Amino acid sequence: MARNLVAALLLFVALVLQVSVVNRLLFSWAPDLVLLTVAALATRRGPVPGAVIGFCGGLAYDLLPPSNHTLGQYALVLCFLGYAAGRVGDRLPLLAVAACAIAAPGLLAGLGALLGAPGITWPVLATAWPRAAICNLVAAPLVLRAVKVTHGGHRRRAGGGELVPSWRRGMA
Amino acid sequence: MRDTRRARLTLGLLLAVALILITVDHRAGNDRVLGPVRDFASAVFGKAERVGAAVTRPITGFVTMLRDAPTARRVITDLRKENARLRDEVSANRLDRARAEKLDRMLGLAGLGRYRIVPAQVVARRTVAGFEDTVEIDVGTGDGIRPDMTVLSDVGLVGRIVQAGPDSSTVALLTDPALSAGARLEGGNELGVVSGLGEAGGGGNLIRFRLLDSTVPIGVGRRIVSFGSQQSKPYVPGVPIGIVERVDNTPGEVTRTAYARPFTDFSALDVVGVVVAAPKRDPRDAVLPPVPKPPKPRPEEQRRGDADRGRERGSLEAEWGLVAGDDPRAAAERRSRGGAPEAAQERRGRNGTRAVGGEQHAQEPPAAREPRADRDQRAVHDQRAGRAGDSADAAHEPRRHDGRGGGN
Repeated sequence: MARNLVAALLLFVALVLQVSVVNRLLFSWAPDLVLLTVAALATRRGPVPGAVIGFCGGLAYDLLPPSNHTLGQYALVLCFLGYAAGRVGDRLPLLAVAACAIAAPGLLAGLGALLGAPGITWPVLATAWPRAAICNLVAAPLVLRAVKVTHGGHRRRAGGGELVPSWRRGMA
Repeated sequence: MRDTRRARLTLGLLLAVALILITVDHRAGNDRVLGPVRDFASAVFGKAERVGAAVTRPITGFVTMLRDAPTARRVITDLRKENARLRDEVSANRLDRARAEKLDRMLGLAGLGRYRIVPAQVVARRTVAGFEDTVEIDVGTGDGIRPDMTVLSDVGLVGRIVQAGPDSSTVALLTDPALSAGARLEGGNELGVVSGLGEAGGGGNLIRFRLLDSTVPIGVGRRIVSFGSQQSKPYVPGVPIGIVERVDNTPGEVTRTAYARPFTDFSALDVVGVVVAAPKRDPRDAVLPPVPKPPKPRPEEQRRGDADRGRERGSLEAEWGLVAGDDPRAAAERRSRGGAPEAAQERRGRNGTRAVGGEQHAQEPPAAREPRADRDQRAVHDQRAGRAGDSADAAHEPRRHDGRGGGN
Protein backbone atom coordinates (compact mmCIF):
# COMPACT_ATOMS: atom_id res chain seq x y z
CA MET A 1 0.00 0.00 0.00
CA ALA A 2 2.79 2.34 0.96
CA ARG A 3 4.55 1.41 -2.22
CA ASN A 4 1.47 2.34 -4.24
CA LEU A 5 1.26 5.69 -2.50
CA VAL A 6 4.94 6.35 -3.14
CA ALA A 7 4.47 5.38 -6.77
CA ALA A 8 1.48 7.75 -7.11
CA LEU A 9 3.43 10.52 -5.43
CA LEU A 10 6.40 9.96 -7.71
CA LEU A 11 4.15 10.10 -10.74
CA PHE A 12 2.51 13.25 -9.51
CA VAL A 13 5.85 14.93 -8.88
CA ALA A 14 7.08 13.82 -12.29
CA LEU A 15 3.96 15.25 -13.96
CA VAL A 16 4.26 18.59 -12.23
CA LEU A 17 7.99 18.83 -12.80
CA GLN A 18 7.52 17.94 -16.43
CA VAL A 19 5.19 20.80 -17.24
CA SER A 20 6.35 23.44 -14.78
CA VAL A 21 10.12 23.06 -14.96
CA VAL A 22 11.53 20.75 -17.57
CA ASN A 23 9.41 21.81 -20.50
CA ARG A 24 9.83 25.46 -19.67
CA LEU A 25 13.58 25.29 -19.36
CA LEU A 26 14.59 22.99 -22.17
CA PHE A 27 11.77 23.46 -24.68
CA SER A 28 12.17 20.93 -27.46
CA TRP A 29 15.16 19.28 -25.77
CA ALA A 30 13.13 18.20 -22.76
CA PRO A 31 13.20 14.53 -21.69
CA ASP A 32 9.89 12.83 -20.98
CA LEU A 33 10.04 12.48 -17.20
CA VAL A 34 6.61 10.81 -16.94
CA LEU A 35 7.53 8.08 -19.41
CA LEU A 36 10.86 7.44 -17.66
CA THR A 37 9.24 7.37 -14.22
CA VAL A 38 6.60 4.92 -15.40
CA ALA A 39 9.23 2.69 -16.99
CA ALA A 40 11.48 2.83 -13.94
CA LEU A 41 8.58 2.04 -11.59
CA ALA A 42 7.53 -0.84 -13.84
CA THR A 43 11.00 -2.34 -13.67
CA ARG A 44 10.75 -2.34 -9.89
CA ARG A 45 7.20 -3.66 -9.65
CA GLY A 46 6.61 -6.13 -12.44
CA PRO A 47 4.35 -6.27 -15.50
CA VAL A 48 0.84 -5.96 -14.01
CA PRO A 49 1.61 -3.11 -11.63
CA GLY A 50 3.66 -1.62 -14.46
CA ALA A 51 0.67 -1.75 -16.78
CA VAL A 52 -1.59 -0.18 -14.12
CA ILE A 53 0.95 2.50 -13.31
CA GLY A 54 1.44 3.19 -16.98
CA PHE A 55 -2.28 3.48 -17.56
CA CYS A 56 -2.81 5.80 -14.62
CA GLY A 57 0.24 7.90 -15.36
CA GLY A 58 -0.65 8.17 -19.04
CA LEU A 59 -4.23 9.12 -18.24
CA ALA A 60 -3.01 11.77 -15.82
CA TYR A 61 -0.60 13.01 -18.47
CA ASP A 62 -3.49 13.18 -20.95
CA LEU A 63 -5.49 15.21 -18.48
CA LEU A 64 -2.65 17.52 -17.51
CA PRO A 65 -3.91 21.01 -18.34
CA PRO A 66 -1.91 22.26 -21.29
CA SER A 67 -3.00 19.38 -23.49
CA ASN A 68 -4.61 19.35 -26.88
CA HIS A 69 -4.37 15.75 -27.92
CA THR A 70 -6.96 13.00 -27.81
CA LEU A 71 -7.57 11.65 -24.33
CA GLY A 72 -6.08 8.18 -23.87
CA GLN A 73 -3.09 8.31 -26.20
CA TYR A 74 -0.53 8.42 -23.47
CA ALA A 75 -2.58 5.99 -21.40
CA LEU A 76 -2.48 3.40 -24.16
CA VAL A 77 1.20 3.80 -24.96
CA LEU A 78 2.39 3.99 -21.36
CA CYS A 79 0.18 1.08 -20.35
CA PHE A 80 1.80 -1.10 -22.99
CA LEU A 81 5.32 0.16 -22.24
CA GLY A 82 4.81 -0.31 -18.49
CA TYR A 83 3.80 -3.90 -19.07
CA ALA A 84 6.78 -4.52 -21.36
CA ALA A 85 9.23 -2.85 -18.96
CA GLY A 86 7.83 -4.91 -16.12
CA ARG A 87 8.40 -8.10 -18.11
CA VAL A 88 12.02 -7.34 -19.00
CA GLY A 89 12.94 -5.00 -16.18
CA ASP A 90 13.88 -7.48 -13.51
CA ARG A 91 16.93 -8.67 -15.30
CA LEU A 92 18.01 -5.55 -17.19
CA PRO A 93 16.25 -2.54 -15.72
CA LEU A 94 18.44 0.06 -17.43
CA LEU A 95 18.08 -1.61 -20.80
CA ALA A 96 14.32 -1.81 -20.38
CA VAL A 97 14.06 1.86 -19.48
CA ALA A 98 16.33 2.77 -22.39
CA ALA A 99 14.23 0.75 -24.83
CA CYS A 100 11.10 2.50 -23.54
CA ALA A 101 12.83 5.86 -23.85
CA ILE A 102 13.65 5.18 -27.50
CA ALA A 103 10.38 3.54 -28.47
CA ALA A 104 7.93 5.86 -26.76
CA PRO A 105 8.24 8.95 -29.01
CA GLY A 106 7.75 6.82 -32.09
CA LEU A 107 4.77 4.99 -30.66
CA LEU A 108 3.14 8.26 -29.58
CA ALA A 109 3.72 9.82 -32.96
CA GLY A 110 2.38 6.76 -34.72
CA LEU A 111 -0.75 6.71 -32.62
CA GLY A 112 -1.20 10.43 -33.22
CA ALA A 113 -0.83 9.86 -36.96
CA LEU A 114 -3.44 7.09 -36.84
CA LEU A 115 -5.82 9.46 -35.07
CA GLY A 116 -5.16 12.14 -37.65
CA ALA A 117 -3.17 14.54 -35.49
CA PRO A 118 -1.88 17.33 -37.70
CA GLY A 119 1.79 18.02 -38.24
CA ILE A 120 3.14 14.48 -38.01
CA THR A 121 5.08 13.82 -41.22
CA TRP A 122 8.20 11.79 -41.99
CA PRO A 123 10.63 14.74 -42.10
CA VAL A 124 9.36 16.00 -38.75
CA LEU A 125 9.56 12.55 -37.29
CA ALA A 126 13.10 12.07 -38.66
CA THR A 127 14.38 15.01 -36.61
CA ALA A 128 12.04 14.90 -33.65
CA TRP A 129 12.27 11.21 -32.80
CA PRO A 130 16.10 10.99 -32.51
CA ARG A 131 16.18 14.19 -30.54
CA ALA A 132 13.52 13.02 -28.10
CA ALA A 133 15.19 9.62 -27.84
CA ILE A 134 18.56 11.16 -27.04
CA CYS A 135 17.07 13.42 -24.40
CA ASN A 136 15.25 10.51 -22.81
CA LEU A 137 18.38 8.36 -22.87
CA VAL A 138 20.39 11.07 -21.14
CA ALA A 139 17.79 11.43 -18.41
CA ALA A 140 17.03 7.71 -18.05
CA PRO A 141 19.82 6.73 -15.61
CA LEU A 142 19.05 9.71 -13.38
CA VAL A 143 15.35 8.91 -13.20
CA LEU A 144 16.07 5.24 -12.60
CA ARG A 145 18.45 6.15 -9.80
CA ALA A 146 15.94 8.54 -8.26
CA VAL A 147 13.14 5.96 -8.39
CA LYS A 148 15.42 3.31 -6.89
CA VAL A 149 16.31 5.61 -4.01
CA THR A 150 12.79 6.84 -3.24
CA HIS A 151 10.75 3.77 -4.07
CA GLY A 152 13.01 1.10 -2.76
CA GLY A 153 13.37 -2.32 -4.35
CA HIS A 154 11.11 -5.32 -4.02
CA ARG A 155 14.06 -7.61 -4.49
CA ARG A 156 15.52 -6.80 -1.13
CA ARG A 157 12.14 -7.19 0.49
CA ALA A 158 11.51 -10.45 -1.30
CA GLY A 159 14.98 -11.59 -0.48
CA GLY A 160 15.30 -13.22 -3.86
CA GLY A 161 18.29 -13.35 -6.14
CA GLU A 162 19.00 -10.57 -8.54
CA LEU A 163 18.17 -12.56 -11.63
CA VAL A 164 14.86 -14.12 -10.58
CA PRO A 165 11.85 -12.53 -12.33
CA SER A 166 8.93 -11.46 -10.22
CA TRP A 167 6.45 -13.91 -11.54
CA ARG A 168 8.81 -16.76 -10.82
CA ARG A 169 9.56 -15.39 -7.41
CA GLY A 170 5.85 -15.55 -6.66
CA MET A 171 5.89 -19.25 -7.46
CA ALA A 172 9.01 -20.05 -5.61
CA MET B 1 1.43 -19.27 -15.07
CA ARG B 2 -1.32 -17.70 -13.07
CA ASP B 3 0.41 -14.45 -12.92
CA THR B 4 1.02 -14.35 -16.59
CA ARG B 5 -2.59 -15.00 -17.48
CA ARG B 6 -3.81 -12.48 -14.98
CA ALA B 7 -1.26 -10.08 -16.18
CA ARG B 8 -2.31 -10.49 -19.78
CA LEU B 9 -5.92 -10.06 -18.81
CA THR B 10 -5.14 -6.90 -16.92
CA LEU B 11 -3.07 -5.56 -19.74
CA GLY B 12 -5.76 -6.34 -22.29
CA LEU B 13 -8.38 -4.70 -20.13
CA LEU B 14 -6.34 -1.58 -19.64
CA LEU B 15 -5.47 -1.32 -23.30
CA ALA B 16 -9.12 -1.76 -24.18
CA VAL B 17 -10.11 0.99 -21.78
CA ALA B 18 -7.46 3.23 -23.27
CA LEU B 19 -8.69 2.52 -26.77
CA ILE B 20 -12.27 3.18 -25.73
CA LEU B 21 -11.19 6.44 -24.18
CA ILE B 22 -9.36 7.41 -27.34
CA THR B 23 -12.33 6.50 -29.50
CA VAL B 24 -14.82 8.35 -27.34
CA ASP B 25 -12.70 11.43 -27.06
CA HIS B 26 -11.74 11.42 -30.71
CA ARG B 27 -15.28 10.93 -31.97
CA ALA B 28 -16.78 13.41 -29.58
CA GLY B 29 -14.66 16.09 -31.16
CA ASN B 30 -15.70 19.44 -29.83
CA ASP B 31 -18.63 18.12 -27.84
CA ARG B 32 -16.28 17.16 -25.06
CA VAL B 33 -18.09 14.18 -23.59
CA LEU B 34 -15.23 13.88 -21.14
CA GLY B 35 -15.34 17.58 -20.34
CA PRO B 36 -16.07 17.18 -16.60
CA VAL B 37 -13.14 14.81 -16.22
CA ARG B 38 -10.86 17.23 -17.96
CA ASP B 39 -12.16 20.10 -15.85
CA PHE B 40 -11.52 18.20 -12.65
CA ALA B 41 -8.03 17.24 -13.77
CA SER B 42 -7.21 20.76 -14.82
CA ALA B 43 -8.37 22.06 -11.44
CA VAL B 44 -6.17 19.61 -9.54
CA PHE B 45 -3.13 19.81 -11.77
CA GLY B 46 -3.47 23.52 -12.29
CA LYS B 47 -3.05 24.15 -8.57
CA ALA B 48 -0.14 21.75 -8.39
CA GLU B 49 1.50 23.38 -11.38
CA ARG B 50 1.12 26.82 -9.88
CA VAL B 51 2.68 25.67 -6.64
CA GLY B 52 5.41 23.86 -8.53
CA ALA B 53 6.15 26.87 -10.65
CA ALA B 54 6.29 29.12 -7.59
CA VAL B 55 8.64 26.74 -5.79
CA THR B 56 10.91 26.26 -8.76
CA ARG B 57 10.92 29.83 -9.95
CA PRO B 58 14.37 30.55 -8.52
CA ILE B 59 15.73 27.47 -10.30
CA THR B 60 14.00 28.49 -13.50
CA GLY B 61 15.38 31.97 -13.21
CA PHE B 62 18.86 30.68 -12.50
CA VAL B 63 18.87 28.30 -15.43
CA THR B 64 17.47 30.97 -17.70
CA MET B 65 20.21 33.29 -16.55
CA LEU B 66 22.86 30.66 -17.20
CA ARG B 67 21.47 29.96 -20.62
CA ASP B 68 21.35 33.64 -21.49
CA ALA B 69 24.74 34.47 -19.98
CA PRO B 70 26.86 34.39 -23.15
CA THR B 71 24.46 36.51 -25.12
CA ALA B 72 23.74 38.73 -22.13
CA ARG B 73 27.40 39.66 -21.87
CA ARG B 74 27.47 40.67 -25.49
CA VAL B 75 24.20 42.52 -25.14
CA ILE B 76 25.52 44.41 -22.13
CA THR B 77 28.66 45.40 -24.01
CA ASP B 78 26.64 46.51 -27.00
CA LEU B 79 24.25 48.49 -24.85
CA ARG B 80 27.10 50.17 -23.01
CA LYS B 81 28.68 51.19 -26.27
CA GLU B 82 25.40 52.46 -27.60
CA ASN B 83 24.74 54.30 -24.37
CA ALA B 84 28.08 56.07 -24.49
CA ARG B 85 27.57 56.99 -28.12
CA LEU B 86 24.09 58.36 -27.46
CA ARG B 87 25.30 60.32 -24.47
CA ASP B 88 28.04 61.85 -26.58
CA GLU B 89 25.55 62.72 -29.23
CA VAL B 90 23.17 64.34 -26.79
CA SER B 91 25.85 66.48 -25.18
CA ALA B 92 27.24 67.45 -28.58
CA ASN B 93 23.77 68.41 -29.69
CA ARG B 94 23.25 70.51 -26.62
CA LEU B 95 26.58 72.23 -27.15
CA ASP B 96 25.82 72.83 -30.81
CA ARG B 97 22.45 74.30 -29.98
CA ALA B 98 23.94 76.68 -27.41
CA ARG B 99 26.56 77.77 -29.93
CA ALA B 100 24.01 78.22 -32.65
CA GLU B 101 21.94 80.41 -30.35
CA LYS B 102 24.94 82.53 -29.47
CA LEU B 103 25.92 82.85 -33.09
CA ASP B 104 22.38 83.83 -33.95
CA ARG B 105 22.30 86.54 -31.33
CA MET B 106 25.71 87.79 -32.37
CA LEU B 107 24.64 88.05 -35.98
CA GLY B 108 21.58 89.91 -34.79
CA LEU B 109 23.74 92.40 -32.93
CA ALA B 110 26.04 92.78 -35.91
CA GLY B 111 23.10 93.35 -38.20
CA LEU B 112 21.72 95.95 -35.84
CA GLY B 113 24.94 97.94 -35.96
CA ARG B 114 25.53 97.09 -39.62
CA TYR B 115 28.89 95.58 -38.84
CA ARG B 116 30.22 92.95 -41.13
CA ILE B 117 31.57 90.19 -38.99
CA VAL B 118 33.46 86.95 -39.31
CA PRO B 119 32.25 84.47 -36.68
CA ALA B 120 34.92 82.68 -34.72
CA GLN B 121 35.27 80.19 -31.96
CA VAL B 122 37.39 80.70 -28.87
CA VAL B 123 39.92 77.88 -28.79
CA ALA B 124 42.28 78.86 -25.98
CA ARG B 125 42.53 81.34 -23.20
CA ARG B 126 45.41 82.76 -21.29
CA THR B 127 45.13 84.75 -18.12
CA VAL B 128 48.08 86.10 -16.23
CA ALA B 129 46.68 87.72 -13.15
CA GLY B 130 46.74 91.45 -13.44
CA PHE B 131 48.85 91.63 -16.59
CA GLU B 132 47.31 89.82 -19.46
CA ASP B 133 43.93 88.53 -20.46
CA THR B 134 43.84 87.12 -23.98
CA VAL B 135 42.03 84.45 -25.94
CA GLU B 136 42.87 82.63 -29.12
CA ILE B 137 40.24 82.38 -31.84
CA ASP B 138 40.16 80.04 -34.80
CA VAL B 139 40.15 82.55 -37.63
CA GLY B 140 43.17 84.32 -39.10
CA THR B 141 44.45 86.30 -42.01
CA GLY B 142 43.03 83.68 -44.33
CA ASP B 143 39.58 84.74 -43.23
CA GLY B 144 40.30 88.42 -43.68
CA ILE B 145 41.33 89.09 -40.13
CA ARG B 146 43.88 91.86 -39.59
CA PRO B 147 45.32 93.21 -36.39
CA ASP B 148 43.31 95.94 -34.66
CA MET B 149 39.91 94.70 -35.54
CA THR B 150 37.05 94.85 -33.11
CA VAL B 151 35.86 91.61 -31.57
CA LEU B 152 32.35 91.39 -30.21
CA SER B 153 30.15 88.75 -28.70
CA ASP B 154 26.41 88.29 -28.87
CA VAL B 155 25.83 91.00 -26.28
CA GLY B 156 28.68 93.43 -26.50
CA LEU B 157 32.31 94.31 -26.94
CA VAL B 158 34.91 91.64 -26.25
CA GLY B 159 38.19 93.22 -27.23
CA ARG B 160 40.38 93.59 -30.25
CA ILE B 161 42.72 91.56 -32.36
CA VAL B 162 46.31 92.13 -31.31
CA GLN B 163 47.91 89.57 -33.54
CA ALA B 164 46.60 87.70 -36.57
CA GLY B 165 48.14 84.45 -37.68
CA PRO B 166 47.34 82.47 -40.81
CA ASP B 167 44.47 80.58 -39.22
CA SER B 168 44.29 81.80 -35.68
CA SER B 169 44.35 85.15 -33.98
CA THR B 170 44.96 86.56 -30.54
CA VAL B 171 42.35 88.75 -28.95
CA ALA B 172 43.09 91.05 -26.07
CA LEU B 173 40.02 91.13 -23.90
CA LEU B 174 38.38 94.25 -22.59
CA THR B 175 39.37 93.19 -19.09
CA ASP B 176 43.06 93.19 -20.01
CA PRO B 177 44.73 96.04 -18.09
CA ALA B 178 46.73 96.94 -21.20
CA LEU B 179 43.60 97.64 -23.18
CA SER B 180 41.56 100.80 -23.32
CA ALA B 181 38.86 101.96 -25.62
CA GLY B 182 37.08 105.15 -26.34
CA ALA B 183 33.57 105.08 -24.95
CA ARG B 184 30.54 107.22 -24.75
CA LEU B 185 27.67 107.30 -22.31
CA GLU B 186 24.42 106.23 -23.82
CA GLY B 187 22.18 109.03 -24.97
CA GLY B 188 24.72 111.79 -24.67
CA ASN B 189 27.97 113.11 -25.92
CA GLU B 190 30.02 112.58 -22.79
CA LEU B 191 33.21 110.87 -23.77
CA GLY B 192 35.43 108.70 -21.71
CA VAL B 193 37.91 105.90 -21.74
CA VAL B 194 37.19 102.36 -20.78
CA SER B 195 40.08 100.27 -19.56
CA GLY B 196 40.46 96.86 -18.06
CA LEU B 197 41.25 96.36 -14.43
CA GLY B 198 42.65 92.86 -14.55
CA GLU B 199 42.57 91.29 -11.13
CA ALA B 200 41.76 94.59 -9.51
CA GLY B 201 38.38 94.50 -11.25
CA GLY B 202 37.14 91.80 -8.95
CA GLY B 203 37.64 88.51 -10.71
CA GLY B 204 38.08 90.24 -14.05
CA ASN B 205 34.49 91.27 -14.14
CA LEU B 206 34.61 95.03 -13.75
CA ILE B 207 36.08 97.60 -16.08
CA ARG B 208 36.95 101.19 -15.37
CA PHE B 209 35.27 104.04 -17.19
CA ARG B 210 36.93 107.42 -16.90
CA LEU B 211 34.86 110.32 -18.05
CA LEU B 212 37.04 113.07 -19.45
CA ASP B 213 34.74 115.86 -18.31
CA SER B 214 34.55 115.69 -14.55
CA THR B 215 31.59 118.00 -14.33
CA VAL B 216 29.22 115.65 -16.06
CA PRO B 217 27.33 113.46 -13.62
CA ILE B 218 27.38 109.73 -14.21
CA GLY B 219 24.36 107.85 -12.99
CA VAL B 220 24.52 104.28 -11.82
CA GLY B 221 22.79 102.10 -14.37
CA ARG B 222 23.72 104.17 -17.42
CA ARG B 223 25.06 102.20 -20.29
CA ILE B 224 28.26 102.65 -22.20
CA VAL B 225 28.81 102.13 -25.92
CA SER B 226 32.05 102.23 -27.84
CA PHE B 227 32.83 105.58 -29.40
CA GLY B 228 34.80 104.37 -32.35
CA SER B 229 38.31 105.08 -33.45
CA GLN B 230 39.71 106.74 -36.53
CA GLN B 231 38.85 104.64 -39.56
CA SER B 232 37.17 102.34 -37.09
CA LYS B 233 40.51 100.83 -36.08
CA PRO B 234 40.71 99.22 -33.62
CA TYR B 235 37.18 99.94 -32.44
CA VAL B 236 34.04 100.37 -34.42
CA PRO B 237 31.45 102.73 -32.99
CA GLY B 238 28.25 101.80 -31.27
CA VAL B 239 29.15 98.44 -29.74
CA PRO B 240 27.60 98.03 -26.28
CA ILE B 241 30.28 97.81 -23.64
CA GLY B 242 28.74 97.71 -20.20
CA ILE B 243 26.58 99.23 -17.58
CA VAL B 244 27.77 101.64 -14.90
CA GLU B 245 27.67 100.01 -11.55
CA ARG B 246 29.57 102.24 -9.20
CA VAL B 247 30.79 105.84 -9.36
CA ASP B 248 33.77 107.21 -7.48
CA ASN B 249 33.25 110.80 -6.52
CA THR B 250 36.56 112.37 -5.80
CA PRO B 251 36.29 116.15 -5.68
CA GLY B 252 38.97 118.02 -7.49
CA GLU B 253 39.99 115.21 -9.74
CA VAL B 254 40.55 115.91 -13.41
CA THR B 255 38.59 112.93 -14.63
CA ARG B 256 35.62 111.19 -13.17
CA THR B 257 35.89 107.47 -12.60
CA ALA B 258 33.14 104.91 -12.69
CA TYR B 259 33.21 101.13 -12.63
CA ALA B 260 31.11 99.31 -15.14
CA ARG B 261 30.10 95.72 -15.60
CA PRO B 262 30.62 94.55 -19.19
CA PHE B 263 27.69 93.09 -21.06
CA THR B 264 29.90 90.25 -22.22
CA ASP B 265 30.45 87.41 -19.80
CA PHE B 266 34.20 87.04 -20.09
CA SER B 267 34.26 83.86 -18.07
CA ALA B 268 32.14 82.04 -20.64
CA LEU B 269 33.36 83.22 -24.01
CA ASP B 270 32.55 80.81 -26.77
CA VAL B 271 31.35 82.25 -30.06
CA VAL B 272 32.67 85.69 -30.97
CA GLY B 273 32.63 87.80 -34.08
CA VAL B 274 35.39 89.85 -35.62
CA VAL B 275 34.21 93.04 -37.29
CA VAL B 276 35.91 93.09 -40.66
CA ALA B 277 34.03 96.10 -41.96
CA ALA B 278 32.73 99.02 -39.99
CA PRO B 279 29.36 100.60 -40.70
CA LYS B 280 29.31 103.70 -42.86
CA ARG B 281 27.31 105.57 -40.28
CA ASP B 282 27.74 105.49 -36.51
CA PRO B 283 24.85 103.37 -35.19
CA ARG B 284 24.89 105.46 -32.01
CA ASP B 285 22.75 103.74 -29.40
CA ALA B 286 20.84 101.51 -31.79
CA VAL B 287 22.79 98.39 -30.89
CA LEU B 288 22.02 98.66 -27.19
CA PRO B 289 19.39 96.22 -26.04
CA PRO B 290 15.95 97.73 -25.52
CA VAL B 291 15.46 99.46 -22.22
CA PRO B 292 13.54 97.22 -19.88
CA LYS B 293 10.12 98.37 -18.78
CA PRO B 294 9.54 98.97 -15.06
CA PRO B 295 8.25 95.41 -14.57
CA LYS B 296 11.51 94.10 -15.88
CA PRO B 297 11.42 91.28 -18.37
CA ARG B 298 13.98 88.54 -18.10
CA PRO B 299 17.29 89.06 -19.89
CA GLU B 300 16.70 86.09 -22.20
CA GLU B 301 13.59 87.67 -23.64
CA GLN B 302 15.37 90.91 -24.29
CA ARG B 303 18.15 89.18 -26.05
CA ARG B 304 15.76 87.23 -28.21
CA GLY B 305 13.95 90.39 -29.23
CA ASP B 306 17.30 91.88 -30.03
CA ALA B 307 18.22 88.98 -32.23
CA ASP B 308 14.93 89.15 -34.06
CA ARG B 309 15.40 92.77 -34.80
CA GLY B 310 18.88 92.07 -36.05
CA ARG B 311 17.78 89.34 -38.39
CA GLU B 312 15.61 91.78 -40.33
CA ARG B 313 18.53 93.95 -41.10
CA GLY B 314 21.05 91.19 -41.51
CA SER B 315 20.66 91.08 -45.27
CA LEU B 316 21.98 94.59 -45.56
CA GLU B 317 25.38 93.58 -44.25
CA ALA B 318 26.78 92.79 -47.64
CA GLU B 319 26.79 96.43 -48.71
CA TRP B 320 29.95 97.45 -47.02
CA GLY B 321 33.42 96.62 -48.07
CA LEU B 322 36.44 95.96 -46.03
CA VAL B 323 38.30 99.09 -45.02
CA ALA B 324 41.96 98.30 -44.87
CA GLY B 325 44.75 100.57 -43.84
CA ASP B 326 48.49 100.32 -43.33
CA ASP B 327 48.25 102.40 -40.23
CA PRO B 328 46.94 99.80 -37.80
CA ARG B 329 49.39 97.18 -38.96
CA ALA B 330 52.27 99.49 -38.20
CA ALA B 331 50.77 100.15 -34.81
CA ALA B 332 50.54 96.47 -34.13
CA GLU B 333 54.16 95.96 -35.04
CA ARG B 334 55.22 98.70 -32.76
CA ARG B 335 53.17 97.18 -30.00
CA SER B 336 54.58 93.76 -30.45
CA ARG B 337 58.05 95.21 -30.28
CA GLY B 338 57.32 97.35 -27.28
CA GLY B 339 55.48 94.88 -25.12
CA ALA B 340 52.31 95.27 -23.14
CA PRO B 341 53.46 97.18 -20.04
CA GLU B 342 55.08 99.90 -22.13
CA ALA B 343 52.00 100.19 -24.23
CA ALA B 344 49.97 100.67 -21.11
CA GLN B 345 52.27 103.43 -19.92
CA GLU B 346 52.09 105.12 -23.26
CA ARG B 347 48.36 104.92 -23.25
CA ARG B 348 48.07 106.44 -19.84
CA GLY B 349 50.21 109.32 -20.95
CA ARG B 350 48.08 109.81 -24.00
CA ASN B 351 44.93 109.90 -22.01
CA GLY B 352 46.34 112.47 -19.68
CA THR B 353 46.19 110.35 -16.63
CA ARG B 354 49.84 110.33 -15.84
CA ALA B 355 49.53 113.58 -14.00
CA VAL B 356 47.01 112.09 -11.65
CA GLY B 357 48.75 108.73 -11.46
CA GLY B 358 49.11 108.90 -7.70
CA GLU B 359 45.46 109.56 -7.12
CA GLN B 360 44.59 106.88 -9.53
CA HIS B 361 46.60 104.36 -7.60
CA ALA B 362 44.95 105.56 -4.47
CA GLN B 363 41.60 104.83 -6.05
CA GLU B 364 42.32 101.38 -7.18
CA PRO B 365 42.67 99.58 -3.87
CA PRO B 366 39.04 100.03 -2.86
CA ALA B 367 38.03 98.11 -5.92
CA ALA B 368 40.40 95.34 -5.00
CA ARG B 369 39.56 95.36 -1.36
CA GLU B 370 35.85 95.35 -1.95
CA PRO B 371 34.28 92.55 0.08
CA ARG B 372 33.34 89.53 -1.97
CA ALA B 373 29.86 89.25 -0.49
CA ASP B 374 29.12 92.78 -1.56
CA ARG B 375 30.36 92.02 -5.05
CA ASP B 376 28.26 88.90 -5.34
CA GLN B 377 25.22 90.72 -4.19
CA ARG B 378 25.78 93.31 -6.78
CA ALA B 379 26.19 90.68 -9.45
CA VAL B 380 22.83 89.25 -8.53
CA HIS B 381 21.27 92.64 -8.57
CA ASP B 382 22.78 93.39 -11.91
CA GLN B 383 21.42 90.23 -13.37
CA ARG B 384 17.97 90.91 -12.07
CA ALA B 385 17.90 94.48 -13.26
CA GLY B 386 18.88 93.47 -16.76
CA ARG B 387 20.22 96.41 -18.61
CA ALA B 388 18.48 99.23 -16.87
CA GLY B 389 19.50 102.61 -18.09
CA ASP B 390 18.51 105.75 -19.75
CA SER B 391 16.33 105.79 -22.76
CA ALA B 392 18.17 106.03 -25.99
CA ASP B 393 17.84 109.32 -27.75
CA ALA B 394 19.27 109.97 -31.09
CA ALA B 395 21.40 112.99 -30.51
CA HIS B 396 23.74 113.29 -33.42
CA GLU B 397 27.36 113.99 -33.03
CA PRO B 398 30.25 114.06 -35.45
CA ARG B 399 32.75 111.29 -35.02
CA ARG B 400 35.98 112.30 -33.49
CA HIS B 401 39.37 110.84 -33.02
CA ASP B 402 39.50 109.62 -29.48
CA GLY B 403 41.94 107.98 -27.16
CA ARG B 404 42.23 104.63 -28.72
CA GLY B 405 44.49 102.32 -26.86
CA GLY B 406 47.96 101.32 -27.76
CA GLY B 407 49.19 103.31 -30.65
CA ASN B 408 48.83 105.82 -33.43
